[in-house]
Amino acid sequence: MTVETRQGIGGGHFAGLLLAPVRWAMNLIDRPMSFVQRRFGLGGVAAAFLAPNMLVFGIFVLFPMTLNVAYSFTGGGALFLNNRVFVGTLQYETLLACRDFLDAASCREDRFWRAVGNTGFFVVVQVTALVLVSLATALVLNREMRARGFWRAVFFFPVLLSPVVVALIWKWILQRNGLLNAALLELGFEPVLWLVNRGWAMFWAIFLSIWAHLGFYTLILLAGLQAIPRDLYEAAEMDGAPRWRVLTRITLPLLWPNMVVVILLALIRAVQVFDEVFVLTGGGPGTATLFLVQYIYETGLAQQVRNLGLASAASILMAVVLIVLTLIQLLASAWRERKEQR
Amino acid sequence: MSHLELKNVSKSFGPVGVLHHVDIEVKDREFVVFVGPSGCGKSTLLRIIAGLEKATSGDVVLDGEVVNHLAAADRGLAMVFQSYALYPHMSVRQNLSFGLENTKTPRDKIEARVTEIARMLRIEELLERKPRQLSGGQRQRVAIGRAMVRRPGVFLLDEPLSNLDAELRVTMRAELAALHKRLDATMIYVTHDQTEAMTLADRIVVLRDGRVEQIGTPLELYNRPANRFVAGFIGAPHMNFLEGRFAGGEAGAARIELDGGHMLSLHIPARPKGEPITIGVRPHHIETQGGQARIPATVTLVEALGPETIIHAEAEGQPRIVAALAGQRGITSGDTVSLALDERFLHAFDADGRRVAEGEVAEEM
Repeated sequence: MTVETRQGIGGGHFAGLLLAPVRWAMNLIDRPMSFVQRRFGLGGVAAAFLAPNMLVFGIFVLFPMTLNVAYSFTGGGALFLNNRVFVGTLQYETLLACRDFLDAASCREDRFWRAVGNTGFFVVVQVTALVLVSLATALVLNREMRARGFWRAVFFFPVLLSPVVVALIWKWILQRNGLLNAALLELGFEPVLWLVNRGWAMFWAIFLSIWAHLGFYTLILLAGLQAIPRDLYEAAEMDGAPRWRVLTRITLPLLWPNMVVVILLALIRAVQVFDEVFVLTGGGPGTATLFLVQYIYETGLAQQVRNLGLASAASILMAVVLIVLTLIQLLASAWRERKEQR
Repeated sequence: MSHLELKNVSKSFGPVGVLHHVDIEVKDREFVVFVGPSGCGKSTLLRIIAGLEKATSGDVVLDGEVVNHLAAADRGLAMVFQSYALYPHMSVRQNLSFGLENTKTPRDKIEARVTEIARMLRIEELLERKPRQLSGGQRQRVAIGRAMVRRPGVFLLDEPLSNLDAELRVTMRAELAALHKRLDATMIYVTHDQTEAMTLADRIVVLRDGRVEQIGTPLELYNRPANRFVAGFIGAPHMNFLEGRFAGGEAGAARIELDGGHMLSLHIPARPKGEPITIGVRPHHIETQGGQARIPATVTLVEALGPETIIHAEAEGQPRIVAALAGQRGITSGDTVSLALDERFLHAFDADGRRVAEGEVAEEM
């Protein structure tokens, strides 16, 4: 295998110069590559190329995950696994010890169940709102309008910000003497303790996470909308379809594959919610905005007595929920696809 | 009854004018074809009629009523799109019934209508299939069916055959012609294919750069093209254009000297000596035997099609000349032939491309 470059008309010489180092490097690895291919076959070469990534994945993802499972069956305050006591399913039993699953106070690990309840509420409301708002935003941004590129950038901009920065900006707006209360005072209203009131704190946690991630999901839906041929809308127009019917009978069914991606990603991300809400409310007031990941973090790492076993067990339970959610989503999608092909 | 008029219709996209003062009348039950090269504005014109595009100025008049302000669905028209625009997630049945559902037609009437259309178009067995499970021709039929189901006053067809292969196109062309007869409906058909235009149309509208070049029956356009553009666009293979100059003659019988030195006599008024003129001659009006004006030429390409032989030849002072000779000839590339132009069917165009002496060219029988 010897690399040759084609010299185009005009600029070909310049391109040739630019490509010279590439050509040189390719020719340099030509002999060893040919040797490896002969020695180990094409499959062997593919495995060799994948190996570095698999190694990184193995060390930083697969190994900690396995370790986490092992930790969840241990107890005590020791950090290293070999110094820890094997306790079997005790940590799981502790987490699941409830007289009434609908009443967190009746559970031995009530903070875990409060976090589960909060996360469940957050997931349902945030994902629903996020998907609907993203859809509405994408539909608006997909229309012919002035400065469409600018508006798209505006909605995408928060995605580029660090979650901590986003949370700090909103904390500055929402705190007792923040921008929002200053505006309310200016308008003659009483200031509201946005982050102290339990209901408002949850509202702003949901609002903040929607604001921060809206652009990303809007982008996915916008790409889906743009892939729908304009002809179909014109055909619907000729068919006399009212706008609502065009949305429900043409746009949404054709956007469904993108919706599945959006719902799936939003679900996973909502279950994992932590950083921005932690910075904004710290999980408070009380446990009003305490979510699962914060519970795991505090139980395993931030408390004076670290309970790594309990934290690991909680994270395994969370992973199981995520896997189940993902499977349901994928199965629903596959079922729909099969139904369409019939 | 559906009678359509376009009155002084113009359309601009920003500073770019795409249609300029178009006046066309389409009579009830007529099959009119808009034909022209890409970018001539024919599809835009169709979209303006459909109500999918608004004219910058001028009126669309349907059965005596100006419909500029009416939405597409309220004009009583139906359109078959170039891409068919079938709803991919709906079955053929749902595609056909969608338009009727929008008008809240009772379910039993929708069923009856869909069944009737499906039977007429021979797509009954396809009703439960999705568009992606259909062949190009079947999709075409479904698209036509969707247009038919609402019983429109006028059918608008935007290059409906352009996505089909050559063989299927010929079949579908014949089916469309038969359908027009059976439905007795007004149809406006857009194409860039002059063969489709010639075979389907009652009348053809030739468009170029947003202007109507000529309106007429296929044979009017073929026999008496109004200008060089129409002459070159209508007819296959394309008309040959030979450059020359007036070289004297009498009233009603001009002498023309073609570039290369060959002389022709034409029944057109003589003009001052030396004034340039273009002579148009269709490939089917050139022979290698007989005739008066004989132009020696070298054959560069021979296309033996069986029933006819098409030769491409080069003559002194002239661009490539194409001749369509009846039957099979023993001509090969490199041969020298003597091209005889049938003077009864010559067309003359002045320096601006306008036809000279309308009515002097014989009708081909």
